[in-house]
Amino acid sequence: MSDKKRLLIVDDDPDFAGAIRSILETAGYETEVMHNPKDGWQALKKNTYDLLLLDIMMGRGAEGVMMARKIRKDRVLREMPVLIITGIREQIAFLFPGQAIHPGFVPVDELVEKPVEPELLLERVAALIAAAEERKAEA
Amino acid sequence: MAVARDGNRGLELVEEFEPDLVFVDLKMPGISGFEVLEKIEEIDRTIVTIVITGYATVSSAVDAMKSGAYDFLPKPFTPDEFRLVTRRGLEKRALVLETMALRREKEMLRENFAAIVSHEMKSPLNAVQQNLFVVAHELADSASAEQRERLERMQARIRDLLQVVDTWLRCVSVDVDAIKERFVPVAVDAPIARAVESVETHATRKSIELHTLIGEPAAVVMGDEGTLAEALTNVLGNAVKYSYEGSKVTVTAERRDGLVDIAVTDTGIGISEEDRAHILDDFYRAGGTGEGGVGIGLAICRRIVEAHDGSMSVESAIGQGSTITVTLPTIQFDDPHGPGPKEDPAKKGPQ
Repeated sequence: MSDKKRLLIVDDDPDFAGAIRSILETAGYETEVMHNPKDGWQALKKNTYDLLLLDIMMGRGAEGVMMARKIRKDRVLREMPVLIITGIREQIAFLFPGQAIHPGFVPVDELVEKPVEPELLLERVAALIAAAEERKAEA
Repeated sequence: MAVARDGNRGLELVEEFEPDLVFVDLKMPGISGFEVLEKIEEIDRTIVTIVITGYATVSSAVDAMKSGAYDFLPKPFTPDEFRLVTRRGLEKRALVLETMALRREKEMLRENFAAIVSHEMKSPLNAVQQNLFVVAHELADSASAEQRERLERMQARIRDLLQVVDTWLRCVSVDVDAIKERFVPVAVDAPIARAVESVETHATRKSIELHTLIGEPAAVVMGDEGTLAEALTNVLGNAVKYSYEGSKVTVTAERRDGLVDIAVTDTGIGISEEDRAHILDDFYRAGGTGEGGVGIGLAICRRIVEAHDGSMSVESAIGQGSTITVTLPTIQFDDPHGPGPKEDPAKKGPQ
């Protein structure tokens, strides 16, 4: 087994997901892509990932938010860091007025906006994984 | 048509039969006609009720109207009178239903339009931009200077387009009045600094000098820093956009009589008298400027400024430049009896 970090991308836009995947694979991550929350959820149940990259505006409305809520309720999955990627800053600000753009859908998350600069994406992914490993080492 | 002999049976029928119009006799066995009127109102406010009674006094008519009746028909009445009242009642019902449907449609359009624009327009743009990022990133070392410049231009164009969509979205979906609920005292230098910061890159690219002159101490207004910064960014962004390369844009903030004037002055192309009258309207774009844009920036500013009980004015001379002034009422801590804004004293300043 390689010591490559394994990431899951859940995004219903194949072109966007493909671009994200390319950035991450070039940087040495192993990635899988699912195009809907249902397949994403099945993959999460079957395999173990070091990080989930989740689009929250999928399908009709915010299906990604629903998925984040399910993850939050799951004893095992809630330990996994989640990077939320979204193109809806305005709507987020609208849903959570007066709050920083960091809605805390899941215990461990960060939010970046679409489109995301490759450097910023890699930096956030590395930081989230490092923080998760630190927590694991402490436990 | 359905007929009931008393109030309770009548109410059952209202639920089963879902009538457009109900005639109610005030004097019936069982529950009173007034009670029936009130219950019908609870079941469905759009049902039109008409009271028929032999006790045709003004006061019982008024009471019936108060209980929700639309009209009143005293006994005895002619078939013509009956038909007239019925027709009027049914017309009323049709109007009420139509108004409700229109209002619902308008709300749906407003909400869904924002969602549709957001998803259907932004998603593909985001996907294109993300892929441009990847290509630029992966070819960083191997692309020629010319290729890199082309990639940068493409990214800049997509970024501008995404911004247009965002501004547009904001215009249709955000209720500017709602920001009033989070007003707090704001020193005007803060949103000004944020606005200057947002346009700095654009100004530098055009070698435009940005000057800020704020009277000390900075005036304090009741407002929302974020939206004020957005409004000023728009004004300042316009000034930079319509200025010549190498010129100067000045922002000043001066107090006068319980007000503060935040003025943005450029030495740019200027605004014609004809355009000046419309420049603050939705979707208006001055003719022949050759600059891109959708013409809603200043209109959004105007709404934000008006939500702050302020006003905007434009002064300009063609070829010499323009000054756009945002005037806001200030709050004064030192002199509560001074000519300040008509603010509720309880809301004045931090406690």
